[in-house]
Amino acid sequence: MYEMDLIERANSVNELLARYGVKFGIYKNGTFKEQLFPFDAIPRVIPADEFDLLDRGLRQRVKALNLFLEDIYNEKKIVRDRVVPEEFIYASSGYLPQCEGIRPSGGVFSHISGIDLVLGKDGSWYILEDNLRVPSGASYPLIVRDLCRRSSPRTFQEFHIEDNRNYAQLLRHTMDYANVGGLTVVLTPGRYNAAYFEHSYLAEQTHSPLVSGQDLVVEEDGVYLLDYTGKKERVGAVYRRISDDFLDPLSFRPESLIGVPGLFQAYRKGQVAILNAPGNGVADDKGIYYFVPKMIQYYLGEQPILSNAPTYLPFFEEDMKSVLEHLDTLVLKDVAEAGGYGVVFGSKMSARQKEDFVALLKAEPRRFITQEVIDFQDLDIMDNGVRVPRKADLRAFVLSAEEPVAWKSGLTRFSRNPDSFIVNSSQGGGFKDTWVLSR
Amino acid sequence: MGIKSIEVTDRLYWLGRYSERVYTSLRLFAKSYDDMLDKGDTYGELCRSLEIPNIYPTAQNFLRRYPFDESDPNSIASNLRRAYDNAVELRQEIGTEELSYIQLAVYEMNRARLSDAPMLEFQKIADNILAFWGIIDDQVEDENTRNIIKVGKRVERIDLFGRLHASQVDLHREVRRLQGRIDRCTIRYDRACLAELGRLVEAEPLDYSAIVQTVERLTAV
Repeated sequence: MYEMDLIERANSVNELLARYGVKFGIYKNGTFKEQLFPFDAIPRVIPADEFDLLDRGLRQRVKALNLFLEDIYNEKKIVRDRVVPEEFIYASSGYLPQCEGIRPSGGVFSHISGIDLVLGKDGSWYILEDNLRVPSGASYPLIVRDLCRRSSPRTFQEFHIEDNRNYAQLLRHTMDYANVGGLTVVLTPGRYNAAYFEHSYLAEQTHSPLVSGQDLVVEEDGVYLLDYTGKKERVGAVYRRISDDFLDPLSFRPESLIGVPGLFQAYRKGQVAILNAPGNGVADDKGIYYFVPKMIQYYLGEQPILSNAPTYLPFFEEDMKSVLEHLDTLVLKDVAEAGGYGVVFGSKMSARQKEDFVALLKAEPRRFITQEVIDFQDLDIMDNGVRVPRKADLRAFVLSAEEPVAWKSGLTRFSRNPDSFIVNSSQGGGFKDTWVLSR
Repeated sequence: MGIKSIEVTDRLYWLGRYSERVYTSLRLFAKSYDDMLDKGDTYGELCRSLEIPNIYPTAQNFLRRYPFDESDPNSIASNLRRAYDNAVELRQEIGTEELSYIQLAVYEMNRARLSDAPMLEFQKIADNILAFWGIIDDQVEDENTRNIIKVGKRVERIDLFGRLHASQVDLHREVRRLQGRIDRCTIRYDRACLAELGRLVEAEPLDYSAIVQTVERLTAV
């Protein structure tokens, strides 16, 4: 009943989102544009017992991924024990040899983890991918909850919905835990980044200065924020929203103009914390995804609580055979791509395209993973006043300080196109509030 | 005072300047528009006063381009865009609620562009600018942040008043306000310029050209 309030007032919520500049940036034909992220008022509702399972599974997964990162950049036991083939480590573009031997402050590599899941028609949640570099999206459900509570206060009185507005406190605690002494800053590549709204909003909400590379300077391995008068203040943690490649021109891509020269060296010496740690890409590579259940068993001695989508690695001969036989039923993913790009459905390829793809697959088997198409549950959305089902996923956020904590919410993204499985905002998708029920 | 990066300081200052420029330009444009109803094509006078190139071949062209044309760097829309460009990079400094008034002004400008009666819509843009200044004063805790914006605003107002040959009383008041504010923030300025400005607004007759030049030099250090 109260859900109707939310639906009837959805336009008002969308107007407020526009007022508050809740946007994402997108490049079309070489031109930068800011777009509103369409909000649908019908929430995704996760019952308490179901979230309990998710909570345990997500924390377990992130714990194992953190152990994997520590191992890969130090002892490499998992490679020596042949649980993960070394080809999948060293050939990964996310593996950074510069990170060898580093143990970050507090022992955490992935402080903010964004884990993408879908709910299958069989009622099980499946993990689609892990995002351990600079996962974005938490700001949208965070700001929209406030607006939904204004839109339909009775709904939030009547239902037992976990309050998700603690994200900034969780993030702040995570930053403080990693901080080695000094200010915590949010480092942005700038206004023309797709997630700039989020950078500035999370900086505001965590009371952290939002800085660009030119605001920071490294002196004798200490990182400092400079002000207008020449005053300097020590920085103890950098929540960076810049990819590894551009973080520091002295250690990574020399042409980077948005990074901070010397930052990586300061981090290596333990003089500053970087959230998330550089080099995490080796663990969220689409190829490594296949091995995460094995990592959980290896590091924690536990069975995985949450399942991966059934995945094949053409790198293995047996899997290649199976992929070639069942190409029509699989989704093919280029491990180097993200944001919904590089994803092709076998059933939608022409005979010629299949032929070309098979040739490519045989030439570069490490480059692709293939997954069975999960028949995942649709969620209803309002489309021009009509309630229609659409594909949707969930990005859950796990914040790791002393222990990993799963945020009792998440970003539910949906496809507005009835024929599409692609939910990414960059490809026209929208988002919903995600309610976790407290009982 | 908390530490503020060079970029943030610059953006706060220019946010103050551009928001003032938009507000004052709207008022001048409204007056100019009204004058043209009775006196014909008087827009050249406004261009001369503001020292902007008169690129407008007809009054009709001026009435369309000066408020709305973002490809014209002197248009009100361009100045509002610059205010927005600075504000959007200051969310963490000024706050989401505060920033929203600049965003609303941009939406109102877009609506005015499509309206048959844009002069009515301009009131909403001015209202949002006023609301923005009000909420900054009321809600932003950091005094330095508030004062940098206000210094930008005052500098712009003195500059415009100088160009428009405002009265000595008005100029004197604005310079006094600037003098009372500028040392309460971390903006760098030329003290000699400020003293000179104080002398210039006391002199009779006023040397408007010197006032404009001096205020433009004030923070260019």
